[in-house]
Amino acid sequence: MPKLTKILSLAMAAIVAVTMVTTPAAAEKKESFKLAWSIYVGWMPWGWASDQGIVKKWADKYDIEIEVVQFNDYIESINQYTVGAFDGVTATNMDTLAIPSVGGVDTTALIVGDFSNGNDAIILKDKSELTDIEGQTVNLVELSVSHYLLARALESIGKSEKDVSVVNTSDADLVGAYQTDDVTAVVTWNPLVAEIAAMPGANKVFDSSDIPGEIIDLTVVNTEVLEANPDFGKALVGAWYETMAIMASDTPEGAAARAAMGEASGTDLAGYDMQLASTQMFYDPAAAVEFAKSDGLTDTMEAVRTFLFDHGLMGDGAPSADIVGIEFSDGTILGDENNVKFRFDYEFMAGAVAAE
Amino acid sequence: MTAVTLRNIWKEYGDNVVLERIDLDVEPHSFVALVGPSGCGKSTLLRMLMSAEVPTRGEILIEGEPLPADPTAERGVVFQRYSVFPHLTVEENVLLGLELQTSRLSCKLFGGAKRTAMDQARSMLEEVGLGHALKQYPSALSGGMQQRLAIAQALIMRPKVLLLDEPFGALDPGIRAEIHVLMRRLWQETKMTVFMVTHDLSEAFHLGTRVIALEKDRTRPEELERYGAVIKHDLDVWPPKLSDLEAHETVDSEATDDI
Amino acid sequence: MRQRLINRRPERRVGVFLAALPFVLLLIAYSLGSDARLAENPSDKLLPSFSSIGDAIERMAFTENKRTGEILLWVDTSASLIRFVSGLLIATLVGGFFGIITGLLPYMRASLGTFFSVLSVIPPLAILPILFIVLGLGETSKIALIVLGIAPFIIRDMILRVEEIPSELMVKAQTLGASTWQIAWRVVVPQMLPRLIDALRLSLGAAWLFLIAAEAIASQSGLGYRIFLMRRYLSMDVILPYVAWITFLAFFIDWCLLKLQQKAFPWFAASRSG
Repeated sequence: MPKLTKILSLAMAAIVAVTMVTTPAAAEKKESFKLAWSIYVGWMPWGWASDQGIVKKWADKYDIEIEVVQFNDYIESINQYTVGAFDGVTATNMDTLAIPSVGGVDTTALIVGDFSNGNDAIILKDKSELTDIEGQTVNLVELSVSHYLLARALESIGKSEKDVSVVNTSDADLVGAYQTDDVTAVVTWNPLVAEIAAMPGANKVFDSSDIPGEIIDLTVVNTEVLEANPDFGKALVGAWYETMAIMASDTPEGAAARAAMGEASGTDLAGYDMQLASTQMFYDPAAAVEFAKSDGLTDTMEAVRTFLFDHGLMGDGAPSADIVGIEFSDGTILGDENNVKFRFDYEFMAGAVAAE
Repeated sequence: MTAVTLRNIWKEYGDNVVLERIDLDVEPHSFVALVGPSGCGKSTLLRMLMSAEVPTRGEILIEGEPLPADPTAERGVVFQRYSVFPHLTVEENVLLGLELQTSRLSCKLFGGAKRTAMDQARSMLEEVGLGHALKQYPSALSGGMQQRLAIAQALIMRPKVLLLDEPFGALDPGIRAEIHVLMRRLWQETKMTVFMVTHDLSEAFHLGTRVIALEKDRTRPEELERYGAVIKHDLDVWPPKLSDLEAHETVDSEATDDI
Repeated sequence: MRQRLINRRPERRVGVFLAALPFVLLLIAYSLGSDARLAENPSDKLLPSFSSIGDAIERMAFTENKRTGEILLWVDTSASLIRFVSGLLIATLVGGFFGIITGLLPYMRASLGTFFSVLSVIPPLAILPILFIVLGLGETSKIALIVLGIAPFIIRDMILRVEEIPSELMVKAQTLGASTWQIAWRVVVPQMLPRLIDALRLSLGAAWLFLIAAEAIASQSGLGYRIFLMRRYLSMDVILPYVAWITFLAFFIDWCLLKLQQKAFPWFAASRSG
């Protein structure tokens, strides 16, 4: 038996060692960081900036290392960030609140990259008015920004989700699904919107330009990591706005950058420019700061958290959407001020304005 | 009472000649034991008799008629293994032949027909000493009992010819002796013509009325492929195993056949 | 002399202990990991505590949902089981039928044998869009995915099993006067039924996989649907009990099939070992 206890204690030690490795990143000074990003029009600059060595250049400047990792699965990248495997991730304001913030990971919106200005849309088959959606079966990725867009659209015509029937449909299969007879209404994002809208009978009846500034694409980082390592934030912001400047420039260099980003996202320069057209990019850090300071952001987050709460995403057993605090740039807090887990902070972006 | 004739039978697999120049006239109610070294083609010859294989050349006649291309109910078989159906009980195994015969589509019998068939099957099983095991599955039976069942199953069809492929080869000596007695009795009662492949010479002489030994003529390695086995010995077993009365009957029917 | 390791067997009580050990270790490892993570972040969702898993079970399995008024676990379970069982039944019928006639009839084998071999290596998930367009997004395509996923395997397995029937038995049946139809009906089919259950049991894992995949693609309920939806916000407190439930269901269905085989085909186990 003593032999068995020895084996058991060894096994336990191994198990403990394994579990310790996967515990979240602690708030301490460190030198290497990991950023996860996934393929979407507003986040393609990360891949390009990484390929071009721009991220490395800025990391070197602050004497740190930044590993930029591309994910094919957006949700998985956020989950990996939430469990502590990454220090930063690209995510929408809604998913940031629903996943890391509700999951207790204090998260700061470091860069406000853009907001969707038509990239997300509701498409009806053979119907041209939003009101026609009543009573229909709607295919979309449930609990995603598409679902939020639908909720906001229904609200705008005085209806609610009870008036439609939602079918959770994977984004990878939406285009195929639209071609079947059972599917008459879809909500999705670009490039799927462009593809579906081009099909016969397809009509865009509502899109994110009808709720401007509500679906925001962010680069978020772990607040504790950022506080302990401001250089990480500075390097990311520096690399991002250098890339923005190149991308926005009306030069062959800018076109080449956008073409490369388009190619990496499976389209070409024209296709990518078309997606950019329905994306309100903040190429200029000053504009992003302006947006982060605006009052509209508070209203947006109020709408977002109400949606999340209604769908049980603010944590089960949560008495109200107030359970998680959201701090805005001016220091005001929406929700529980003792449990602030989502912060909008324009300080780092403002630093980029000053550097120009 | 069935005569079997083999005329110049050859069996080749590609270039490999297994059997050649097999000529045989078998009288009705014979018990022919086929012996020979392993690989001499004795089982192949038996399989041709059951239409499981086709001779490359030559013809086989049963009562003067060419052998049908498929196995038929007039030629019953018992193999060393896999002779009975594992998914049927002892009783069902014997009943099967009767059911197949009378009910072509549903393969099942009902009512009176079923009772008649059942009685027939049971008396056949009594005959072979399996009356106590009607409801058992073959896997629960010993090797000897399984072979008794296989024999009963074949005999319920009243075949004219019974083909036995080393049927008792895997049995213990005591069991084998018992089943030899049974086999001899059944052969005498049913008057069928029996072919039995065996590698046991004493069994061959004990049961057979005629022992045929197959062997290759040429034994040099380079010739083995090109020359098949032939009938090396053809012995009538003495004394004849038929009772006088039966011998008489045989002669009678032979005479009728000749006409 | 000490016995060799291969000849040493645990006695009964030690055997029970050894069987339970991996599960206990897993639970201990889980609770240690969970405690460590929760100490860092009380809202951690990756390895929720047993009490929050308990709350989730209470919520999903015993409480009516606020919005729909239904008990979600049962809604999901019945939706999934209906798809699963329909898929299995159809695959069994199709697989059994084609497998047996292809294995039995040389002409069928000549024409369909290669076709089924090719069919069985096509990954069904890759042709999903075609399936959708032909069958729509509803229940039919989900069941069809299960059928397409496992029927080719069952067919191939049945072909092999039919070919394994000793030729002696086929000859024997013919010497009892059986026609092709009679051989199929009285000899081959009854011998194949228990083997069909074997093939089905081996397909259960794949069938679950295809069911979950189908539900992840487009649905409004089902165990796979819930897991993929919950994954969107890392609700492991719901996902883990669902995984345990699926494991139990899979185990239970497998056990039922085994019992059915033993009850309905008592001759099979004996003849297989013999």
